[in-house]
Amino acid sequence: MRSTRALILVFLALLFAWIGQVAIGYIQVGRLEPVLNEETNYTEPPVPSGLAQTGARVFASEGCIECHSLSVRGPIGSSDLTRGWGQRRSVPRDYLFREPALVGFSRIGPDLSNIGERIKDPAEIMMHLYDPRKRKPASTCPPHPWLFEKRIAGPRTENDALPLTTINWKQTVPSYSAKALVAYLQSLNLNYALPEAPLK
Amino acid sequence: MTSSSATHSKASSASLVLLGGSIIWSLLAGGLQIISTLQLLIPLLSRLLPISFFSYGRLVPASTFLLTYGWVGSGLLGALLILAPRISGIPFRYGRFLIGGALLWHLAVLIGFTQILWEGSTGLLSLPYSRSVTAVFFVSFLILGTGITRGLGGTWKSGPLLPRLYLLGALLAFPLGLGTAEIVLRHSQAPGSVQIITQLVWNSFFNHLWLTPLALVFLFQLLPSLTGRAVSSLPLGLLAWVTTFTLGGWLSNSLASDGPVPAWMQSAGVIATLLFFVAVLGNGVLLRPLLEGKMDEIRRNVALRFLSVGAWAYASTYAWLAFLSFPGVRQTTAFTMVSSATQTLLCFGFLGCVLTGSIYALLPASRNVGWPSHPALTWHFWCTTLGLGITASSYALAGIFQGLAWSDPGVPLSTISSYLRPFLCTALVGQGLWLVGQIAFSALFFSTVLKLFPTTAPWAVFPTSIADHPDAVQEIYS
Repeated sequence: MRSTRALILVFLALLFAWIGQVAIGYIQVGRLEPVLNEETNYTEPPVPSGLAQTGARVFASEGCIECHSLSVRGPIGSSDLTRGWGQRRSVPRDYLFREPALVGFSRIGPDLSNIGERIKDPAEIMMHLYDPRKRKPASTCPPHPWLFEKRIAGPRTENDALPLTTINWKQTVPSYSAKALVAYLQSLNLNYALPEAPLK
Repeated sequence: MTSSSATHSKASSASLVLLGGSIIWSLLAGGLQIISTLQLLIPLLSRLLPISFFSYGRLVPASTFLLTYGWVGSGLLGALLILAPRISGIPFRYGRFLIGGALLWHLAVLIGFTQILWEGSTGLLSLPYSRSVTAVFFVSFLILGTGITRGLGGTWKSGPLLPRLYLLGALLAFPLGLGTAEIVLRHSQAPGSVQIITQLVWNSFFNHLWLTPLALVFLFQLLPSLTGRAVSSLPLGLLAWVTTFTLGGWLSNSLASDGPVPAWMQSAGVIATLLFFVAVLGNGVLLRPLLEGKMDEIRRNVALRFLSVGAWAYASTYAWLAFLSFPGVRQTTAFTMVSSATQTLLCFGFLGCVLTGSIYALLPASRNVGWPSHPALTWHFWCTTLGLGITASSYALAGIFQGLAWSDPGVPLSTISSYLRPFLCTALVGQGLWLVGQIAFSALFFSTVLKLFPTTAPWAVFPTSIADHPDAVQEIYS
């Protein structure tokens, strides 16, 4: 076999993989548009806020994806729906505005695709980030105290300070990263119907 | 010293830089992996030491990055720098550039590793580092790849063909895959689901079209040399080669279960994985006769031992992937620890063992040195293989139990975590053993390179075997 022929063959094989998946994938799912909900007059999936988009990067950098997936599977062969992780399975359109788009490959903890619907109180998520065992004593989730700041409390603690006992007049206040991460987690919500994935 | 021997010495120094660095990265990666498993086993550890760069979410991507780009990636490139001139018969020129390329590769690994620990990973599959690191990897690969490919075309018609073909494919796959992934994922505004498909394709390119073919270069070049036998069927080898490069880019799709990847792509991934295993079997048919009836030689020659374990791990990895891709199995084991089992089999088993065997076989030829201790060779082999065997089987069983438990909605999360504990304990033992073996190897490597002790095992062969097959061993050193 001549070297040029081998080179062309390898190049075509590699091109086949890229065109077959990324280019055709782009044609098939890359052109999906959000769907207008005629009742609310909002598009779905909703466009996340700027803070939530920053939070997506915090989510990636903290490595949450090592333990939590972002994909609810259908009823065949999985118990995701029965476990209450969502009212329907995830579909490509759900990921339209995700940046970075992550799915995850391991579940040490539960799936978070619909966490915004499951935990509606941001203070609860904030407390979970600071110390997961304060919310769930058996949790294996590691605490993330570096996302919080200790500040001297005035006569009253700040509005967003965690409900913890102040030690040495110091209150625990979420940093911008913590607020962004909570905004992102709250934006993870599959509580809307799509033509290809109606709510159960 | 003549100018050609000086250049040769610089090229050999470049390979030493890559190999030495890769061993250091492997020790670091092994240590980080143990810490992250400990954190999973004893969650209290994360509470006692709540530091961002010590968190599980940063240690796992950091250790995976070090294992793939640091240990296996730079190690295989370093060994290729020794092997390539021996395949082509053309010595390297511009050795200083190669040293520069090797240093740049390590610089990229160092920056990437520091970024992951300090700022966190990007979360992207097989692309956990920033654009600047990609740029450094590109420049380094351009220099090293040019050095490695030099002369391949000129001597195409002489010597074994299969290693050259795999080398050619691997050297093309890395820059094409990384470049396209970088453009789609970070330079264009691709929609989310296209980004996920791109990550899967890049992951396939990285593992199955770059690292796997690089390791196959060594299997097809060194096994015939060490055993004195030739590969029996070139058409079968060519068929396996074509299948590997045609289907390798599709394999990671079989990991997806529902979600953002279109159903036909998942089905294509399953079919590709099954057909890819047929290609692996084809290569197995070619490699098996090389080792058949050579048990005594394998026992005595540590390089051959590692290469044969690597060949078995190659078959096992893709058999395991084929098993996981079956529809019922895939749905049960998706999002479980079976992915860690696959990574252990691929990185520690197949790629790691082939790399180690190649270093044992090639380094004495490159530096005209020998290994200083037979017991250390034995320790290294047994600790490494036992360690990877225990780790892979622990993760595989943990993943299967975890998957079965996830499928039952009546089993709560805390119970599933407690199911994993015994398996994590045994995985920890396996990882510890592997690290002990790797420490023995690093001691051997650095004492050999620095000539700290007298040589007792010139070619990593136990004494009795040299008399039996001097020609077979001599061939690759000539």
